[in-house]
Amino acid sequence: MTASVLRHHALSPMQVLVVGIAGLLSLPLLYVMYRALTADTAIWGRLWRTRLPELLWNTFSLACSVGLLTFALGVSLAWLVTRLDFPGRRIWEWALVLPLAMPTYVLAYVYSYLLGTHGPVDRFWQAIAGPGTHIFAPQSFWGVTVVMALDTFPFVYLLTRTALLSMNVSFEEVARSCGIRPWQTFLRVTLPLLRPSIFAGVSLVVLYVVSDFGAVSLLRYQTLTYAVYQQMTGRYDYAAASVLSVLLVVFAIVFFASERWFRNRSRFYQTGGRFRRPTPQPLSLAGRMGALVITASTFLLSFGIPAGLLMWWSTDAFQEGLLDHRFIEFTWNTILLSGMAASSAVLLGIPVAYLATRQPTWLNHVCLHATYAGYVLPGPVAALALLVLAIAVVPGVYGTVYLLILAYVVHYLPVGLQSLEPAIQQVTPNVEEAARTLGCNIGGALRRVTIPLIWNGFVSAWTLMFLQCMKELPATLLLRPVGFDTLAVRVWLEASEELYTSAAAPALLIVVLSLPALALLVARDWKNTEIAT
Amino acid sequence: MFQFQHVPAQDGYTPRRSTYWTVLFLGFMTLLLSVVPSEAADTLVVYSGRAERLIKPVLDAFQTKTGIQVELLSSGTTELVNRLQVEGDRTPADVLITNDAGSLERARELGLFRPMNLREVDRAIPSQFRAADNSWIGLSGRFWIVVYNTKQVKPEEITSLLDLANPKWKGKIAIPNAGSEYLQAGISVIKAAQGHDRTTAFLKGLKNNAGNRVYGKSSQIVDAVSKGEVGVGIVNHYYVYRQLAQDPNAPIAALMPDQQEGGMGAIMNVAGIGVLKGTAHLDSAKLLVEFLVAQAGQKMFAELNKEYPLHPEVQADPALPPRDSFRAALVPLARLAELREPTMMLIEDAGLR
Repeated sequence: MTASVLRHHALSPMQVLVVGIAGLLSLPLLYVMYRALTADTAIWGRLWRTRLPELLWNTFSLACSVGLLTFALGVSLAWLVTRLDFPGRRIWEWALVLPLAMPTYVLAYVYSYLLGTHGPVDRFWQAIAGPGTHIFAPQSFWGVTVVMALDTFPFVYLLTRTALLSMNVSFEEVARSCGIRPWQTFLRVTLPLLRPSIFAGVSLVVLYVVSDFGAVSLLRYQTLTYAVYQQMTGRYDYAAASVLSVLLVVFAIVFFASERWFRNRSRFYQTGGRFRRPTPQPLSLAGRMGALVITASTFLLSFGIPAGLLMWWSTDAFQEGLLDHRFIEFTWNTILLSGMAASSAVLLGIPVAYLATRQPTWLNHVCLHATYAGYVLPGPVAALALLVLAIAVVPGVYGTVYLLILAYVVHYLPVGLQSLEPAIQQVTPNVEEAARTLGCNIGGALRRVTIPLIWNGFVSAWTLMFLQCMKELPATLLLRPVGFDTLAVRVWLEASEELYTSAAAPALLIVVLSLPALALLVARDWKNTEIAT
Repeated sequence: MFQFQHVPAQDGYTPRRSTYWTVLFLGFMTLLLSVVPSEAADTLVVYSGRAERLIKPVLDAFQTKTGIQVELLSSGTTELVNRLQVEGDRTPADVLITNDAGSLERARELGLFRPMNLREVDRAIPSQFRAADNSWIGLSGRFWIVVYNTKQVKPEEITSLLDLANPKWKGKIAIPNAGSEYLQAGISVIKAAQGHDRTTAFLKGLKNNAGNRVYGKSSQIVDAVSKGEVGVGIVNHYYVYRQLAQDPNAPIAALMPDQQEGGMGAIMNVAGIGVLKGTAHLDSAKLLVEFLVAQAGQKMFAELNKEYPLHPEVQADPALPPRDSFRAALVPLARLAELREPTMMLIEDAGLR
């Protein structure tokens, strides 16, 4: 009785806080919708006549091709490292996560050099196939597809791998004992069981591709997001940019809805009984070699070779004296911004996720979904909306890092919520109440019971957002305070002028700074898997 | 979406570890909040739409000479004008430097600039390169020219920019994107000189010939021509000469178009500067303008950037064709602003990216 009264009183201000947070985070989307819907219909007409069919087709087909390629790569690699035994299996198992530390625009600029005219690959190709012939250009549909897929397949790989490890192997054994062949077993038993995880991974990839700005701008491939940025930076009004962004939002919402629908239809439960961990199958010599070649070459193409090249260029830059004291500043700015953004997002996300879980009223659910608004808005547009709103409402914040931090929070909080939400869901209120009856006060129960229990989700959320913020490009380009550059901005500025060596050092720094965060995330994932099995 | 496994630690409750982390986390936040850089009061804030490496050395020289601290924000010209318009009186900027006279005139029309009367400026910069009320001042001249690969293309093949719409250049030409200020200025001049229909035909041809070779930066176009990916490109002249100064063996050369009898002349634009209306550092801003228009500043634009200095007594780089050896198109620079919007429509209708 006392507990429930207290809880009721304790939550009231929290309710206000949560509504406030949700309102703040959905403002940019509302503003852009308003701008687009009040735009002159002539703008809609002209865009439709001249650019839209091409942009929609480019965006759609790229999302599909990258989705398919990451599906094939991610699932087959996860299968290889969990079910088959071959040399270095354990090493490849974690090495294949490393591309997550490599921003797509870095991979894009490395491949523009490698595959571009007179690049090493091009020269090698001409030596074999004769002068005047060219291997496929990175500035093409397939070039962009490959670059994007090499960078994003770990999403699919990670989720599929986890699912494979926590899957009961007896399902497969039953199938095998019924006389179904291994390949058929994979298609008819394993794959359907993996479907929810694979869908989750592929949809992450698709959303990533649709909202990417850096790689497509360096590879000159026209997608909606890139077109939005061009409209904003090349024209004297933002109306057309708003119209294009609203189309992107619609694209994302349709995608979200269909993804949810598919996922809801494919839930599988282990309904008790015994659970056994699969043992990796031994392979023939040829099989071992084949598995080794596939994993090693994927790793080299997505991380090994680019990282090596960045190191090599960085030493060049160092010798040419291109690295000056400003680099310490850029690095510090990057850590400062990403750290502050991730911390603020966690702090803002907790009450929203907490209320939506503990008091699942319609209001709290609306608030939860409203905080997802920023994720569907492309980076440049969220930045623009914040710029205009800040000047109109809180001019003091304009031109400071705080506005940039807000932009990051708006854009990446949903990524964090994906970890916070389930973490909080797993703590039943009973535990807290038990602690209270055993003599803890509210703070004590929170400190000694709730926080330790949600700690894992908390750290995962922070780390994921930190990783994303470090790579963020368009919002930083548009909102950074004067004299305040981040490593990502430096990479883009130098790489877009084809200055390979100058861009290498900041790019390498982003990768190096991402590694500890990635290690933390992956170690947690690995450990939990052991516990779960 | 992103679901790493979040099984709460099963070893139960570990208050000491989490308390430790919470303290660390809160400490980190406090630290970060306290060290956000604050703007020093006496620094001059420059918004620049020019490539950073073209303007930073000059600003560094100014800083060394006067001791005035300069903070530079490099970005796109149009984006910065948009931004200044939104920022209004709240802008931290003291001066705006752009790569295009049309944008400067547009900023003047928006009332962003503070008209200035400086004797130095009147002496150094001819009046056709300034706003009527001196609210913006041209600093260096640049010509929109054709760069070609000397191994693939003979200069006789092209006399006019309009030739590049000829289907024979399909797949062999690189162009700037539709958001580029000099493309917009260049098309404005062509439209003023040649009329609506010829310009539309030119744009459609350009679009077909360029395909996906549409670039954000002139340096990328020069790079593509120099590697032989394409035979020709349209860029500002100094990118070609800068590249040649770095790599004298690069197989590229600049071609001054539209010099034929009765031709419209080469398309000229200027990079320039304006002092923002609400600046709190008027004296420093004036010093910067004076530094840039004086002979020393103009020499830097000429030597480092290979642009044409506007100061009549400063020589252009000897590698460049002498300024009196070719004709420029006769469209006043200040008109570029009013021509821009209709030009933009034309560019978009043609479907250029």
